[in-house]
Amino acid sequence: MKVKMIHGLKIERREEPGLPARILLKVLAVILSFLFSAILFAISGIDPWYAYTLIFVRSFTYSGLAEITTKLIPILLCTVGLIVAFKAGIWNIGAEGQLLLGAVGATWIALFVDVYDPLRLPLALLVGMIFGASWALIPIILKVRLNVNEIVSTLMMNYVASGIVDYLVYGPWKGAREWGFPYTDKFPDTVWLPLIPGTRIHWPTLIFGVFSSIMVYMLFSKTVLGFEMKVCGQGRKIADYLGMPYGSRLMIAMVISGGLVGLAGVGEVCGVHRRLRYASSISSGYGYTAIIGAWLSGLNPLGSIPSAFLLAFLLTGRDIIQVSLGLPFATSNIFNGCILLSMLVVEALGRYRVRWGRWTI
Amino acid sequence: MKVVAAALLCLITGIIVGYLVGSRFGVVPSAEYERIRTEYTSLKAAYDKLSSDYSNVLAELNVLKKPLKVGFIYVGPILDYGWTRAHDDARRYLEQIFPWIETIPVERVLEADCPRVIDRLITEEKCDVVFTTSFGFMDATYEAGEKYPDKIFFHCSGYRRRANVGTYFAEFYQLYYLNGLIAGALTKTNKIGYVAAYPIPEVVRHINAFALGVKEVNPDARVDVRWLFAWYDPSKAREAAEALIAWGADVLAFTEDSPTVVEVCEEYTTKRGKPVYSFAHYSPMLRFGENSCVSGQLVRWEVIYADILSKIRSGYYTSKNLENVDYWWMLREGAVELGADYGVPINPKFIPILKGKYMDHPEFGRISIYDLVMKRLEQMSEDTVIFDPFTGPIYDNKGSLKVKPGRRMTHDELWTIDWFVDNIIAEVPR
Repeated sequence: MKVKMIHGLKIERREEPGLPARILLKVLAVILSFLFSAILFAISGIDPWYAYTLIFVRSFTYSGLAEITTKLIPILLCTVGLIVAFKAGIWNIGAEGQLLLGAVGATWIALFVDVYDPLRLPLALLVGMIFGASWALIPIILKVRLNVNEIVSTLMMNYVASGIVDYLVYGPWKGAREWGFPYTDKFPDTVWLPLIPGTRIHWPTLIFGVFSSIMVYMLFSKTVLGFEMKVCGQGRKIADYLGMPYGSRLMIAMVISGGLVGLAGVGEVCGVHRRLRYASSISSGYGYTAIIGAWLSGLNPLGSIPSAFLLAFLLTGRDIIQVSLGLPFATSNIFNGCILLSMLVVEALGRYRVRWGRWTI
Repeated sequence: MKVVAAALLCLITGIIVGYLVGSRFGVVPSAEYERIRTEYTSLKAAYDKLSSDYSNVLAELNVLKKPLKVGFIYVGPILDYGWTRAHDDARRYLEQIFPWIETIPVERVLEADCPRVIDRLITEEKCDVVFTTSFGFMDATYEAGEKYPDKIFFHCSGYRRRANVGTYFAEFYQLYYLNGLIAGALTKTNKIGYVAAYPIPEVVRHINAFALGVKEVNPDARVDVRWLFAWYDPSKAREAAEALIAWGADVLAFTEDSPTVVEVCEEYTTKRGKPVYSFAHYSPMLRFGENSCVSGQLVRWEVIYADILSKIRSGYYTSKNLENVDYWWMLREGAVELGADYGVPINPKFIPILKGKYMDHPEFGRISIYDLVMKRLEQMSEDTVIFDPFTGPIYDNKGSLKVKPGRRMTHDELWTIDWFVDNIIAEVPR
């Protein structure tokens, strides 16, 4: 089937490649981007072979892997959450805000609610999920009832969420023992997520992340609900034609999405920071990183684990490039950009064939 | 026979004389020998000691030849033209003056990533000293101190210390006060603006010091504040500066890590025919505002860093005795400097204007503004620091007396200050 034709350039859809071919394509993408970045390292006066050995050796030590895993947790939860929304045809760009609201919910339980201490952590996890889910529910209700474009509303609500966090840490929740700095007091240790000793991995959240990716996979491959979500994602008319409850299916998808993302927020405040800080330091852009994660995994919930791992590797590998190779932050950003871009390009080439005269890719 | 007898006699006499002479002198050489022998032994011992000393010194020299590895962790980009840039300038200067240090800078480190970067600096790059230069790194630095008890850490702008974690800060409030004196003299509208980063004690303190300076020269002028909620955000800073100018402000001070406010003021002064004056913050910004940037606050982090590092090298600071090491250095120690550029306390274009403006001062009588600024600068630079801007009576802008007449605010009060003095018409967000 011909899709487009510009100056003799033809782009055609390929037959859907199988799983081994798709994995092979991704590996090819990584190799391509490494070759490109090698030029970059060479220009900076560093032997590319030395650079790559250093990056890999230092990333895959015990402590290096532990740090990658720590970073992987929020990215994994956000990625799985976003996959649910994307599969249901909802462009949820609001993971950043939902994550922050999850963090706010956990902080509220941790510091300001009087509950029986052993229940405090489970309650913080639950309330964080509820806060994230409710934040996600607002744009989807607007979409279903008033046809408001969710791309814009979810994106805008990120800024509102970060405003809420900043208001809280500069205002009513400012810590009494923090000398006027924008932090809440430290959480009592009853809401600290347990860590694997010697690392910063808050393992309950990690287990939950892996578990949720499997559950979401089951949801879409084995259940009617998942099927209905996918169908409703094709549009209101199709849903109406098939007699499916369009609004409720989209809302369920968004609640799952926001809940998982909110849980990532709880993990960050109860596992890493142990207090609420101003917005930009709580999340460091996981909500946006996860959008890339979702597309890297090809919207496959099980694929979210390797793609979250790749992203976490790139984010933590960034400081090896700075610390051990002495290159500036910008270089590490270009390195990461090369890898992600070539992954996405190769993904597209896997689905389309480009012809130009006699030449074919 | 006679010959034989004479020969025998000679032989016997010879033997007797030989014996006598021999016995006489034979003892002396042996005593001499003993003396020389003892002398030799003691010289040999001294030589052995010297040579072992020498090899010890050699070993020590080899230790000294091993450079001191120093890591610097920055929160912002090195080229931010503000906070991070100033620290990095100091770092590069130190590499020039101290041949025995080796430094590793790491920029744009997120607060959550700080523990990992410290780990990498200590375990992979074998750093001996790590400087963390953002308030948000405080807990991570303290915890790293517990984790690596034989390494030395210094945290900038915090207050948590332990045996191997010290703190340091170059404080600006004296300079903001001096800028306030100038601002009070230059304003025609009696409206003065302040573009502020975050409502934290450090920034609130600086706004107050600035307003106290304004009040000393011009009690009718009012100061308004716009908050950015960012350390580095040129577009927000431009918006805030333009909003303050629209309100009527004709002098602006700021806390933000870019020269944006200076650029906006220069634009209004030279292109829009509406002079608005400003003050450089952190780095020299005279070249961004040759016609509008009057003075400013400049930092000399290298003064503090050089002191810390040379004391570590000489063994005065160790990983056991930093519990009470807190640098809170200002004009007296030379850690900060008044000026739009280094060595230019006041932009030459404004010197005649300030010299021509007089006021009746309760302490100095009739004095020109220029002389007042220089007098105060001198008072605060002296060893005894005979003047402090935060001396009572000071009222907050709700009308209550915060500092009794004659009393100076303490370090801890200044550290936690969360109210505005009475000529500021804004509120501290809470």
